[in-house]
This record gives sequence, C-alpha cells and structure tokens, in this order.
Amino acid sequence: MSNTNTVSTDILIVGAGPAGLATAIRLADLLKKNGLERRILVVEKGASVGSHILSGAVIRPDVLKELLPETDFSEYPFDAEVSKDGLLFFLNQSVSIQSPLHPPGMSNKGNYTVSLGQLCRFLATKAEEKGVEIYPGFAVSEVLYDTNGKICGAKTIDTGVNHHGKPLANFQEGTRIEAKITVFAEGTRGSLTKTVINKFNLQAGKNPQVYSLGCKEIWSVPEGRISAGETYHTMGYPLNLKEFGGGFIYGLSNNRVAVGLVVGLDYADPTFDIQAAFQVWKTHPKVSKILTGGKLLEFGAKTLPEGGWYSLPKTYTDNALIVGDSAGFLIMPALKGVHLAIRSGMLVAETALEAFTKNDFSENTLKEYEAKINASTIYKEMYPTRNFRQAFAKGLIEGGFLYGTQLITGGAGFCGKLDVHTDADATKKVADFHGKPFKKRFAGQLDFDKILTFDKVTDVFYSGAHHDEEQVVHLRVNNPANYNTVNIAQYDAPCQYFCPAEVYEIHTDRDGHKELRIHGENCVHCKTCDIKEPGDGISWTTPNGGNGPDYQNM
Amino acid sequence: MALTIISLIKQVPLPNEMRMGDDGLMDRTKAKSIINIDCQFGLEAGLQLKKHYPDARMIVCSMGPGSFESALKTAISMGYDEAYLLSDRKLGGSDTFATGLAISTMLKHLGFTKDSKEPFVIFAGRQTSDGDTAHVPSQVAENLGIPQATFCESAKPDDKGNIVAKRIIEGGYQMLQLPMPCLISLTPTGIPPRKPSLIGAIKARNAKITVFGVEDIHLGTEKIGLSGSPTIVAAVANIESERPPIVMSEGITETALVSSLIANIKKGGNVLQHKEVKEKAEKETPDFPVIDTREDNKHILTWVEIVNGQIARPSLELFTPARHLAKQLGSETKIKTVLIGKNVAHLSQTLFEHGADEVILVENDTLEEYLVLPFSDVIAQIIKKEKPEIALFAATTAGRELAPRIAVKTGSGVTADCTGLEIGEYVNRKEKTIIRPILHSRRPTYGESKLATILGFVYPQISTARAGTFEVPKREEGRTGKISTFTPELVADDFRVQILETVRGEGGLQNLFDADVIVAGGRGTTVDGLHLVKELAEALKAQGIKAEWASSRAVVDEGYAEYARQIGQTGKTVRPKVYVAIAISGAIQHIAGMKESGTVVAIDHNPKAAIFRNADFGIVGEYLDVVPELIERVKQGFTFGVEVKK
Repeated sequence: MSNTNTVSTDILIVGAGPAGLATAIRLADLLKKNGLERRILVVEKGASVGSHILSGAVIRPDVLKELLPETDFSEYPFDAEVSKDGLLFFLNQSVSIQSPLHPPGMSNKGNYTVSLGQLCRFLATKAEEKGVEIYPGFAVSEVLYDTNGKICGAKTIDTGVNHHGKPLANFQEGTRIEAKITVFAEGTRGSLTKTVINKFNLQAGKNPQVYSLGCKEIWSVPEGRISAGETYHTMGYPLNLKEFGGGFIYGLSNNRVAVGLVVGLDYADPTFDIQAAFQVWKTHPKVSKILTGGKLLEFGAKTLPEGGWYSLPKTYTDNALIVGDSAGFLIMPALKGVHLAIRSGMLVAETALEAFTKNDFSENTLKEYEAKINASTIYKEMYPTRNFRQAFAKGLIEGGFLYGTQLITGGAGFCGKLDVHTDADATKKVADFHGKPFKKRFAGQLDFDKILTFDKVTDVFYSGAHHDEEQVVHLRVNNPANYNTVNIAQYDAPCQYFCPAEVYEIHTDRDGHKELRIHGENCVHCKTCDIKEPGDGISWTTPNGGNGPDYQNM
Repeated sequence: MALTIISLIKQVPLPNEMRMGDDGLMDRTKAKSIINIDCQFGLEAGLQLKKHYPDARMIVCSMGPGSFESALKTAISMGYDEAYLLSDRKLGGSDTFATGLAISTMLKHLGFTKDSKEPFVIFAGRQTSDGDTAHVPSQVAENLGIPQATFCESAKPDDKGNIVAKRIIEGGYQMLQLPMPCLISLTPTGIPPRKPSLIGAIKARNAKITVFGVEDIHLGTEKIGLSGSPTIVAAVANIESERPPIVMSEGITETALVSSLIANIKKGGNVLQHKEVKEKAEKETPDFPVIDTREDNKHILTWVEIVNGQIARPSLELFTPARHLAKQLGSETKIKTVLIGKNVAHLSQTLFEHGADEVILVENDTLEEYLVLPFSDVIAQIIKKEKPEIALFAATTAGRELAPRIAVKTGSGVTADCTGLEIGEYVNRKEKTIIRPILHSRRPTYGESKLATILGFVYPQISTARAGTFEVPKREEGRTGKISTFTPELVADDFRVQILETVRGEGGLQNLFDADVIVAGGRGTTVDGLHLVKELAEALKAQGIKAEWASSRAVVDEGYAEYARQIGQTGKTVRPKVYVAIAISGAIQHIAGMKESGTVVAIDHNPKAAIFRNADFGIVGEYLDVVPELIERVKQGFTFGVEVKK
C-alpha cells in the first residue's frame, strides 16, 4: 500500500448514471452556495459516460428543472415529447386489442422520450462545469474499510493480469480512493452495493429485491412507420398469464424506433429465454409491421429493480449512502426510475452537505437521508404501489385483482405487506416445472432470420461489447463443486438460457459429460446471472474499466 | 546518468476493422479516435524500459491538431510525465518527410540531439493505421542522426547502457544492439499496452501539455505543410469490395466434394473484387504548356536485397514495374541496380537476366549483412552521383526503413508500399503548367479501403513496392549489361549498431499477417484438438506456400489455441490471399476479422451456416471426413490456386 497509489477525496461517487451525476451536481451547487470547497470524484466503469446506460426511456422531466434550475429546458438532449401513448394487449401471436384507457400511474402525458445515455453525457458536462471530477473507464472492484470496519473508500481493479490473476508485464495496480463519504450509484444490482448490503445487513426486515430483465433494440425504419414521440406498451403475448412483463415501442427522431421486452425474473421455467422471447415478440404483426425493411442499429439488455418500497434496503451506513437503482428506487406500474434516481441523488447531496458542515460522516448524520426520502416525492410515488410487484408475482389475473384492490385501498390491498421470494428461488427444477418448457412453447419460432430476428451473438455485436482478453473472468460460479450436480443436473443450467448475451454455454463432450463454459467477453453487464441463477448462484463482479457494452443511444 | 524516454504518438480515427457493423450505420469514427495501436505498443515499450531506469524522465510527443491533446493525456495516465504537442496550421498537409523534419526539430528544440550529454531513447509505433507508411520513425532518426531499429517486438537494456532490440524480419527476427541515443519502432506484437491507472488519469487531468507552434521551435516553413512537402496526394479513390455469390462443391463422397472444389477454384473468378469508385468526373486536361522538370536526373535506380547470399524475391519483382516505367519513359531510360555485399558480384548476371541494364556493385567485407545506417549512407552517395529520376525499393522490412532514411539525405519524398507505378502528368492549375513525365505511385490506404495516388516533385522520386504484388519478370537467358563498381566513403559511426543474432525460419505469429493461406479452425475442429487444421497448414507449407493456422474465438476459449491466433473482432484482422474456414459457423464477430481475404473457402457441416454467405467456395461436410481428403490433395500439389514462390 504505497502513497503513490492512493488518492484522497471528500466524496467518492461510484457510477456516473443519473443518480450519481445528480448527487455530484447538486452537491457541487450546495457546497458553492455554502462557501465550502470539497473534492467530488466520480468513477464510471463504462468507457465513457453513458456507454453502460440503458433505459426505455420515457422520463418525467420535472425533477431536472429542480436539479439544474439555471439550465434552459431546450438544452436537454430529449428526443421528443410523448405525442401518443397507447396500450396494446397481444392476445396471441397475431391478434391484438388496444386498451381504451391506461391504468393510473402509467400515463406518459408531458413526458419525453430520451436516450438516457445521452442525458447522462449532458449531465456529466454540467457536472464537470461545476468542478466535479469524472473519470470514465475505471472500475472499482473493492470496498475499502478502515480499522473499525467502516467504509472508507474503494479501490479500482488491478489490470494487466492473466486469467488466474497473475500479474503480466503490463500490470498496473489499482488506485486506492480514500473518501470521507462513498456513494454507491452503481445502478441495478450494484456489485459493491451488494457486498455492502450483506456486510452491514442492510436488507434486514425488508423484502428481497426482485428484478426484471429488459432487452432492447434500436432500429432505423423506413419513413412513415412511426413518428417521434409515439409510444406504445404491450401486454400479453409472448408472455403467459403467469409471467410478468410487457413490451414497449417508442418512436424516436430520424425514423428510429426503440423496441424492447421487459420480463419479470420471477418466472418458473428454468429454460426461459428472454432474449429469444423478445425476438418472438418482434414477429407480432403490430411490431413487425414497424420494423420490416428497417435495420438494427443497437442492442442492449439490463435488469430493473422492481421490488418497490418494501424491497428498499437501509440506504445508509457510516460513511456511505446508496442511491438510484442500486437502492431500488423505481415506481413499478410505470416502470420509471430515472426521476427517482435523480431525486435520490439530490437528497444524498443535501445529506452530504450536512455531513460536511458538521464534519460528521457517521450514521448519525447520514440517517437524515432516509428522513428526506420519506418526506419526498420518492415516498409519495413509491408507497401507493408498494405491493404492486408482489401481487403480480402471483400471476396476471390474480395480480390484476390484487392491484385493483390496492388502487382502492391506497396500495395496501387487503393483506398489508405482501411477501416475495428472490428471483433465484422462483426458478423451478426441471422436474418440478410442469408447464411447457420454453423451446416447446415456441417451437418453430426460434430460428432467427438475422433480418427481423437475431441470435444472441449477433445482438451482442450490436451492443459494442468488448472485454480485455487478459483478466480474471469477471463471472464467478459461487460453488463450482455443486454446479454440475445441482445447477446442471437439476435445473439444466438456467444461465445458458436467461443470459441475453450468450455468456454461458454448457459444453457436452463426447462422453456426454457436461461442463459450464463462461464467455465473459460477451457480457453486456445486465447482472441477470447474479440475480436469477438458482442453487449457490453466480456472482457478477466488475471486469476491467472501459470493458462491457458501448451503448450510444440506449 | 539520467535517461530520458521519449514516445512519439499519433492520434488516429478508430481503424476500419474496429468499427461496428458493415452497413455504415454504426460508423462511430466521427466521434472516436484512439492512440494509433502501434504507438500504444511504443508507449508500453517505454514504460517497460522505465522499470530498469526508475528515475527516467518520461516524455510523450505528438504532432497534429489540438484534439491530439486527448491522446497525450491518455499517455500521461499510462505513466508518462511530460507532454509536448507540435500544432500549427502551417503544418497542415505535411507528408512524411515534412512530418519527420518537424518532429525531429521539436526534439532538437527540447534539447535532444545526437550530441546530447544525457542519453535518451525514442520509442515510436511501426506505422499508423491512417497512413501505413512506417516512414516517420526512420526519418526522425535520420534527421537526428541517431541509429534506429524499426519493426521491433521488444527493446531491453543490457548492462552496458545499450538497448537490445528484437527486430522482425521476413521469416524471422534479428537481435540488434544499439547505443544510446537511438530510436526504436514497435510492431503490435510486443507487450500489450497497459490500461491507464486512475491515479494516472487524475494526474493527466491536471497536466499541462506544452503546445509548440512552428515558430516556437524555429522551424522554417519552406519544408513543411502542403507546399513544403516533397510529395502530394494527387487523387484518392474509394475501393469497394464485393464478393461474388458462393460456388458450392457438389458430390456425394468426400473425394468428389474435394475434386469439385479443386475444379471450381481452378475455374477461378471467385475472389474478392476491388472496385475503384470514382468520386467525381475527371476534369478535362487544360491546354497548359507542358514542362519537363527532370533536368539532368535520368534513369531508374533499384536496390537488390541479399538474404543469406541470395537475391530476395521481392527485389526481382521490382524489375516488373521498373521495366514498365522505363518503357513509358523511353528507350534512353536505363535500370541501374545497386548490389551491395561481400562477394556478390556473381549475382549480377541474374539481375541482368531479369531486367537490369547496369549493376552498380559495392563490395565490402563490412557490408555483408544489411544494416540501415551504412546501407542508407552508401545508396545516398550513389544517388547523389548517379542522379536517377526514380529510385525503387521492395517494401520489405529493410526497404521500408531504408527508403525513408535515404530520402531524408536526398531531400526526396517517398511513397510507401505501392501496388501500382505509372508514368503520368501533373496538372498544376495554379501555375497553369503541366508537369510531364512524373511518377504516379498508387497505394492502398485506410485499411485497404482507399487507393491514393502520390506524386513527388523532388528527384529522385522514391517509392517502395509491396512485396508479392508484381510478378517476377520472365528471365531472359544470356541478357547482359554493364557492371560498374562504386567505392563508398564509410564512417565508423555507421557501424554503431551490431547484429547480435539473426534467426530465420520461425517468424512467430507475425506470420499470420504475411501468410498467403490461413487455415482457420472453429468449434467443430476441437474434436481432434485442431490436429487436421494444423496438418493442412503444414502440408501447404511443405508445398512452399506461406501458410499459417488460426482459429475462431470458441477454440481459444476452449484452450486449443493461443489468443494470438484468434481471428475476428476481438482478435486479429487478416487479409490472406486464401482463407480456409473449417467448421466455423461465421458469427459476425469472426467475419469482421477475415472479410477482406482474397478468396474464402468454407467447410462446415451446416449448410445454413453464416460462413457460406461470406465465402467464395464452399463444401458442406464433416470436418473429420473432408479435411483428410483435402490434405491428401495438397500433398499432391493442390495449393488453393496460390502460386508457389521460392
């Protein structure tokens, strides 16, 4: 541990997404207003700001006016104001009906379609102007603890090592970042956030977090197919009544369209394949008539924390705070988290200001963050739908009923807090799953033509994913000893199906012996494996900085 | 002693093969530029040397627009301390000659000359992806008057204050010992560049980059920029590559399938078509007076490279364009070939029979083996005496460092790695004159996607010709010519660099880039650990073909091949004459690495495999059945249509 490899900062923000950048911007403004000078350092694992950002996205813009009051609204890189907002039910692979009305909370009036990556690039520029230091291309792989076991910063990953972690000639030791406050803004299923939540037992007394996986493609389509700002959400096919999720179609400028399918990861079929289901969804006439004749521009996939209010962990501990998707701020029926992420960042900034003023970074001061959340629009928006996702864990019909009762009772339903299993636990063993397995269910529809529908490897190409060859594989099977007997033998290795990027492959040799092969270089950092793999699971850790997808307009 | 390590870098647009998609829609080049890959290896070599000299002063230099500061900052984040950028509008349009002059002037301004009291080592990349000339390192070294080792894979210090460099040569390598100060250029087969560290990036954020203008370094404007450069780019044509529809082999048995393949290949025709796309209609030649600027510069000079006492084939190929040019220039133009070595006079007859009119013989015991310093000195002396109109070199690793070094001595421009050489004219619309005759040197650039025509206005007009492009002219038995001898003035300084060892026969993985035939195995070939893939490559080698084996990513992932043999988006991009894809499904990532191959032969059991959409000839069949048959046929002389060269 040499001094030449250590940097000190007042606040370290891990992740330059909307939450992390809002924290930085708001804090820079508050410090200036109070005549304080503090160093704000943001590290981002993507090669550039925005390259790991993926969202629908239709966002509520109001919070931005509060974050950047001096910024003219026309400066924002919004794509278009939502002009049409339809809800479609896909009854089967060719029939659909349009819903006459939206469930409350799902209306997109006054909202904007936007590339969240572009928005983050915009916010990063604003933050830099305010004196924030942002370093993209650096991955922090380790939380630093002081002698009392309290968080005191984080360390970037060592680079220039071989597959076994042995230093090579171009070895570079990671940099220790020592910080008075560390803000975890890693996004969904943050790899460091997870270790912090476990170490300090921050999920105690809460529901486990549950997630959905969204696969998304951006297409260039012939003129006249869809206008910018025209948005549709779909329900039903190819999902059945037990599976939670739906599709989206957002018209973008320049004859582009964003399409995607979001599926709750609490499904039971161990062989369910969301990327493939997404391809099948695209063949529905309502979607294919928009895409046919167009060209795929970009692909991406990401998970969303959907547990809602009851799944929020304790969002603070000594010297550290958790924001945005890492905490799970997302309102469920509307699938919206960006404005909450920004809001939570602003509240963290206010809390941090108090800590700097008092020079006290213990829970005593940082607990204010929770009080602020409870008094904010985050609570107002999240609490009424606190049981939404849990209700739908029981299937669409029962869930619809439960959600209906929640609408009447202000979110409680008739049974208070509904419990939920982790997504990994929801995965059934092959022998215990009595539905039609995925491949049989969609027999004849899984041969992708590479024109309208794409296999995973081709989609990955369009994500721009890249990983350095020389590094330790960043995906770790937690208990290799049991993997064959439990995950492969009993579950048919679900990762080979749910991973949207074909990272996992079951290799069968001539003697019929099966073995898991991990192609980490395909990874698009969606974290599904960390969430969904049953048994002892798989851990997603961060690869070298700058690795991963290279999203441009996701 | 305080050593200074200097790295020269260039910022380039993201190379073709690293871009996304092939439909242009995902072209991100507008937004993205990187440090030229070879230069990144140079940066790393400098950082490696620092391990032995922990107190070394680390300097990084570049020349270009202000946007190059981002590349310099990246270098600082990797471990460099000081950064200098030569940036001036007056430098716009500089060719390699002018660039080499400008950079060396900046280095002299910073106090680095051959007489510096403190030692220094300059690292550079072999060549840039947007220029591909490999001239600038040699020209900087020549301008500074220091020794060089180009095309190196590594550079390590010895305990006597020298640098020992491993220089890649055709079919092998050479260990060179260089005294300091010296310049080393790195190939992208050395130690891969390290990732920046966060602490380095923080340092880079606050680092000040010193920006020099032309006047700051006291560089006159006569020899720089568009007007001062000895060469200009007269025209650039886009090259569009098209692959005709695949021809599938027919037959029931393996023997029949392979016979069908051989017959199809013999029929020929199916090869990647390069089409020149004219961007604008050619202007009519105006009625300006024609002037001949050659004065007393006459004849064509070539240099013949001797390897192991034999004439290197590319030097014989050179007679094809030389004869062609001589014919275009008229019967008075002679081809004079410089033959340097120890006891080499007997080779003259071969040179006459291939087209030399005169052999200028330089025999000297100290010149037995090629070394850039004495050879460039000798040839420059000959050029000054003979005043040739054109000087041609084969674009071998020797020719490509020799020509630019000579050009600095003669003040000429050089055009690198030409695939076409013609006599033409230059319409000077500003001065309303037509210069005729003038050499049109045509060379592919930007990853073979463009064809540039370069003209030089200083005599001799120097070009290097890409090896393997021109045929060796038919030998005229009994053709004779004149032998004249030349006695050069040699100085001890020319022999500062010592060859410690020359190894030929094992080219290492550089062979992948030089191979005429690459046999690549995919997932399906792991059943026998790629045994048959390797055997096929060996069989081709036994036939005298430059062949090498490679693999898809799946094979590397399974541990059957080292990463260095991986072809594709995350591996290497290759352009052999023939690419034989065996049991490769043809994922888009793999196609990105081989789609520029001349002819693609695909063998796979799945008729729907994507590889067949990107191939010229195909066989649907099992790896273990088809390939043994193919090996048998290669042993009988089938070489996939590639001519056997010795």
